[in-house]
Amino acid sequence: MHIVCVIKFVPDVDNFSYNYETHTISRNDSQMLINPDDACALGFALKMKKKDPQSFIEVVSMAPSSITSQLENILRVGFDKATLISDSLYAGSDTYVTSKILSKYLDKIDYDCILSGTHSIDGDTSHVPSQIAQCLNLDHLNSIYQIEEDTFNNSSAVVTVENEKSSITYEIGLPAVLSLSRESSYRLPYVRYKNLNLDVSDKLNIISNKDLCFSAEEVGLKGSLTKVKNTHVKTYETRDKKIVASDDNGVEVVYNFLKDKGFI
Amino acid sequence: MKKVLLYIEDEFCDESLGLLEVSRKLYPSDEIKTYAIAINQKKHSCINGLCDVIFSLNDEDIKTYDQKAISDILSNLQSQFSFDAILFLATHMGRCIAPSLAMKLNTGIVADVTAISNENGEISLIRPAYSGKIMAGINIVGQGPIMMSVRSGIFSFEDYKKVDTKLIELKNIAHRLGNIKIKNIENKKIPYDIRKSDVLVSGGAGCTDLENLNGLAKLLNAHVSASRAVVDKGLVSRAIQVGQSGKTVSPSLYMAFGIHGALQHVEGLKDILNIISINTNKNAPICSISDIVVEGDAVLFLKKLIKRIEKGYQNDC
Repeated sequence: MHIVCVIKFVPDVDNFSYNYETHTISRNDSQMLINPDDACALGFALKMKKKDPQSFIEVVSMAPSSITSQLENILRVGFDKATLISDSLYAGSDTYVTSKILSKYLDKIDYDCILSGTHSIDGDTSHVPSQIAQCLNLDHLNSIYQIEEDTFNNSSAVVTVENEKSSITYEIGLPAVLSLSRESSYRLPYVRYKNLNLDVSDKLNIISNKDLCFSAEEVGLKGSLTKVKNTHVKTYETRDKKIVASDDNGVEVVYNFLKDKGFI
Repeated sequence: MKKVLLYIEDEFCDESLGLLEVSRKLYPSDEIKTYAIAINQKKHSCINGLCDVIFSLNDEDIKTYDQKAISDILSNLQSQFSFDAILFLATHMGRCIAPSLAMKLNTGIVADVTAISNENGEISLIRPAYSGKIMAGINIVGQGPIMMSVRSGIFSFEDYKKVDTKLIELKNIAHRLGNIKIKNIENKKIPYDIRKSDVLVSGGAGCTDLENLNGLAKLLNAHVSASRAVVDKGLVSRAIQVGQSGKTVSPSLYMAFGIHGALQHVEGLKDILNIISINTNKNAPICSISDIVVEGDAVLFLKKLIKRIEKGYQNDC
């Protein structure tokens, strides 16, 4: 089976730098990590590779070139190929443009299944997997927390999805885009000690706009159909702790607080 | 005149009414014509009489989880009617179909919108990012239509006049069909997700009076959550546990009844706007992060507060 995992590197949300002038994330400076949901996709793919060593797993990511060493580390865990799509023209691309770029590459390669995460911890729009599926004319399901391993083959998959009210098990024809959630139990293992310095350069494929041939107007901030106009950091007042007794007065204080704040 | 299409999900019909308010926020000074699309819905009672047109599509082969079919149908409607905006509720399905359709229509989309501003015709859609640390105002450029998914429960629907709704049966709209079928559905025991709740009434070791916790939750349109102590006693499902071994919650109001607030519990409280704690010990750790601390028995206070709110409602009527 040929599995493609589309993953995103995200800033550590507790420690990231945001450029308030250009409204973009300074991905070069921030500590970047694999988006947790996407790591589940990698974990599942690797599990399938263990079951069937003939499987071929390619990891695809659009990111600045500074992410190369992290992709190499992913390769050292046991993947067959990693493709980094990187070009300064692509900086500031919104989800629409990002999906176009990724789809143009994916359209050129073979796959039986595309795996991704559902939510990202930075933007959390969940747009890209649905949009890739639309571009490539594939079916798509998200919030998958279980994929039946025994029946997973190149013609169909049985997956369980959690939505607001229920858990639904679907049978979906492949190829399709399957987006996992971190509620799933699939985890990306660490690199084994003996592989820490493994040379993986022959498995790393770096492509740029020279290969994908978009015009400068179609991509990056210019090509994006959404523009960030302004941003502000959400701040919270320091707590003005007010202590009341559990008597009628206390009830009144709490009641008025709830009423003033619009909860009643 | 502005034309707005509202995607109505059967399961979230009442919540979808907020989309009417979103239309008004988008175009405060225009006449608006609202169209709702209801796919395979027996009745359209909640939106009937509130929007101008209901498109009703009944075809058993079309599944609402099929992004190919739904995006094709909506895209065909767009080419016929040229809506200025297409609105979805940010539900599990809404957040799948909306981006899929946006890609098909080559238009920008904003997810999980929590506020809208229109300054002299320039529309900004405001949404949280970075786990709510940043609020971003986003403009959609290009040919449109304006597309978004809207956080449920934020835009409330009030004082609308009844209108005569025209029902249009949709037939023979060209569409692809996906290759997905349902094998099994299991309903969740807890029908809500405390991570998404706007108001939480939370019980701890000092208040396991679930009947009254539920009673207050109902009055505040809130959900009930619990500390580990209550879960470990087997009184409630782990699905509603707040804390490091439970869930991290970010409601706008958190009411902690009889919760001590050990670090593992406080770890599960993130970016909460208002905290009220009720505790016999005013120096319990939960109290130091509270806006109001009620010193006393949580169960007794809970009962008193319910009575007071019920009385308030009676007086208001």
